[in-house]
Amino acid sequence: MRISAFFVLILPCFIFFSLIGKEGNLSLPLDRKLSDGNLSNKPVDLPRHSTIDGTLDDTALKLKSKNIEERVGAAKLLGKYPGPQAGLLLIGALEDSSELVRRAGMVSLVEHFHNGSPIYEQPLAEKIFSKIADPDVEVRREVSALTPRLVPGLMRSGIERIQLNGRTLIRSIPRTLREDLRLLAQQALLDSDSIVRQNILKYHYSLRLQIKPETLVKLLEDHDIGVLLVALDQVRMYANQPGILQKMEALTAHPDVGVRSKTAKISLGLGHSFPEYRKVLRLLTQDKVDEIATLAAVDLARMGERVSSEMVDRIILYLSQARGLYGKAEALFYSLSALGPTSARVYQSLLDHPSAGMRAQAWGNHLRISSGWKDPANWIPALNDRDLKVREAVLNQVRGRVEEIQKDHLQLLSAHKFPEVRVLAAEMLLVADKQLVKESFFDLLIDESPLVRSTTLRALANLRTDGWIDLHARSLNDDEFSIQQAAMEGLLGDVKSGAPVLLEYVQKFPSSQISTLAKNELRKMGLMP
Amino acid sequence: MRVFLVILVLFLILGMGLFHTLYSVPGLDAGAVRIMQLRRVEGTLVRYPDALPSLLEMMNEKSHANFDPDPMFLDSLSDERLFENPILYINCDELPNFDFSSEENEALRLYMELGGFVYLDAGIKASFLGSDLGHSYAAWEERDEVRAWFGQIFPEKIFSPLPRNHEIFRTFYKGLPDNEYLRLEESQKRLPDTVLSFVEQEKWPQGTYSLVGMKVKERLACVASPICAMGWGRDEFGAWIPPISFRIRESAEDFDETLQTASFSGQTYEVTREDGLKDEIYLIPGQRPLWVKEPAGRWRIFKYYSGEEISNYAHSFYARLGMNVFLYALLN
Repeated sequence: MRISAFFVLILPCFIFFSLIGKEGNLSLPLDRKLSDGNLSNKPVDLPRHSTIDGTLDDTALKLKSKNIEERVGAAKLLGKYPGPQAGLLLIGALEDSSELVRRAGMVSLVEHFHNGSPIYEQPLAEKIFSKIADPDVEVRREVSALTPRLVPGLMRSGIERIQLNGRTLIRSIPRTLREDLRLLAQQALLDSDSIVRQNILKYHYSLRLQIKPETLVKLLEDHDIGVLLVALDQVRMYANQPGILQKMEALTAHPDVGVRSKTAKISLGLGHSFPEYRKVLRLLTQDKVDEIATLAAVDLARMGERVSSEMVDRIILYLSQARGLYGKAEALFYSLSALGPTSARVYQSLLDHPSAGMRAQAWGNHLRISSGWKDPANWIPALNDRDLKVREAVLNQVRGRVEEIQKDHLQLLSAHKFPEVRVLAAEMLLVADKQLVKESFFDLLIDESPLVRSTTLRALANLRTDGWIDLHARSLNDDEFSIQQAAMEGLLGDVKSGAPVLLEYVQKFPSSQISTLAKNELRKMGLMP
Repeated sequence: MRVFLVILVLFLILGMGLFHTLYSVPGLDAGAVRIMQLRRVEGTLVRYPDALPSLLEMMNEKSHANFDPDPMFLDSLSDERLFENPILYINCDELPNFDFSSEENEALRLYMELGGFVYLDAGIKASFLGSDLGHSYAAWEERDEVRAWFGQIFPEKIFSPLPRNHEIFRTFYKGLPDNEYLRLEESQKRLPDTVLSFVEQEKWPQGTYSLVGMKVKERLACVASPICAMGWGRDEFGAWIPPISFRIRESAEDFDETLQTASFSGQTYEVTREDGLKDEIYLIPGQRPLWVKEPAGRWRIFKYYSGEEISNYAHSFYARLGMNVFLYALLN
């Protein structure tokens, strides 16, 4: 009896209070309780865990501890509880005398906003941004990296009520950065740490910060490549400011190839609006590195300047030595159209390039610009290329354009090892001499590739060669559906002679694979099977 | 003097022969090694399109290797071109599924037996990452799908963790990137202090990482890693893309007690460590891990760091590691 009472009364109470936990709330989510079936996810032993309020209270106390380690631990833990209460505690931690606590506080604050959401609360955003002047570099780096998400809170516009000639007026206040923060941001542009400089420079525009020309000139002299590359991005906005053009000219001699390359790209963009920047490109055409000099030359060509024959030789040399159609070589290659007819010489020189990508593009452009597609002797050798990409580039250029083909060329194509080339041979029957068609079509009709066979059938139907109707009628019984379909389409194309043959077939073999489709097509033509 | 000349000539001949063996592949016109990449269907998700070409370009710049920077894409492992090239790269996160036909499995088996090398990027992936492809987590075992797949190819073999002293980690680069490599001034902080010490001591000690491998005929024929391709891409000016952040473990004096009782409503996941024991990861599903209980009873918190310096460092590490793996594959 006592045992029964234990199970009925005491055990359920024990289980209930175990679930409530020591803080007396039921915070275990239902879905977790139900997740026990998943062997990889063990249910958490909840009673050990405090509530959020309890944890935050404990942490708040620890933040006041004299022990730095305890304060650091508390600041780190607060990052796991995004919300106003933890946020306020962390803001307080940013004023800690220990840089370790300030660092932990800042990293935790960033963690609160790690979902990418902007920080709209003005006091919070301004407090965080003010730490851009923190003596500790790690804190400054974190703040500078967080800047884009602080902007909405820092720059919120507003309205103000003013009295004008006795009348009350309401007017808008433009989006600006608080004056003291603006000064801190200006100083951060020349921070001793390159990461801070780079970040503030990158985001200065969204902070509505006007960079002084002398500051940008200094940044364009920066010893850190990352800062310099970002500074070059800003030149567009300050192109006509004093000293900037001179600095760009000086950068044409910078030891880093990436910097010189970016200088070229920025100057190209500026060259249209500020013709004086073309001088930078002209200087870069003297660069000792081919890729820089050639890119600059092609960029000048885009703006209508002539490219010398020597420079074309240099372009050929550079692209011939490039390992593939990638990066700067790719950028240069796709800019070659700016050279006009001169580009033909470059494409022709790249037809045997080791890179399949380069060969493919070179062949495509070469045949297009030189009208080389007209003569099969020009492009048949390229169809032996080991790379399908190259063969397809050539096929795309010649398909449907060639007006006539000689016997030896058609034989080469018909007996080719690659099926896509033999498909082209079948297509070429359309432009071949009648006698040549008679001599060639049979080999193509017994080709191992169904695509070659069906293409041949279509060509023969188009040409109405002798006996084509018989051939198509027989092909309706082929094992390959694509062949049956080609035969059907051929017969449908000739209402007078072909369609009756198809009608007869459908009536004779109503359950054949092609018959259903054929019946539908015949009905559309008004022929009822 | 004559003996010296004879030795010199012999060395030159041997050297040229070795170079030819290492860097030329039959069937290639210019002797450039072409890396094959499996892309199942055109139009499927391509996570890091700049990654492999950038890495190949970097290998060409930094070493004497000669790679075609244009990878050859295969959409099926039964493609005959598989046997034309010695290295196959697969980003497992780009695969729509791990369904391979028996012909493909047979081809891959033959490929590996004949000396081919398979690099399974994202072949390691902690289960709690789910479909979030932008993460890596250094678990020390291959992902379940890879295990099941290779179980069909080599039922008799298993993946084993590569020891930290494996030569794959020092094929070309040794150790972690220093200030000079990162193009930072000597006085400049590479990383925040806590991040640097964790990286040097635990995350990537001496430039190593959690790799598992499978040997075929006593040769390491397949390597799986957490996703590394995210760290290989560069833009046309040489800047790294895309940005990468770090997850590190941090401790504090009282975490062993605090984290046990701190408010938590989520799930725990077990992840295999290097020593074969299990870490217990605390996280709220869909969010990033909060903290970890380690097998020795130590509790640590996960902290997340992002920014230029973090990203540059991570990229440098992943690119150096990727280069080590590909060059190892080429040389062995």
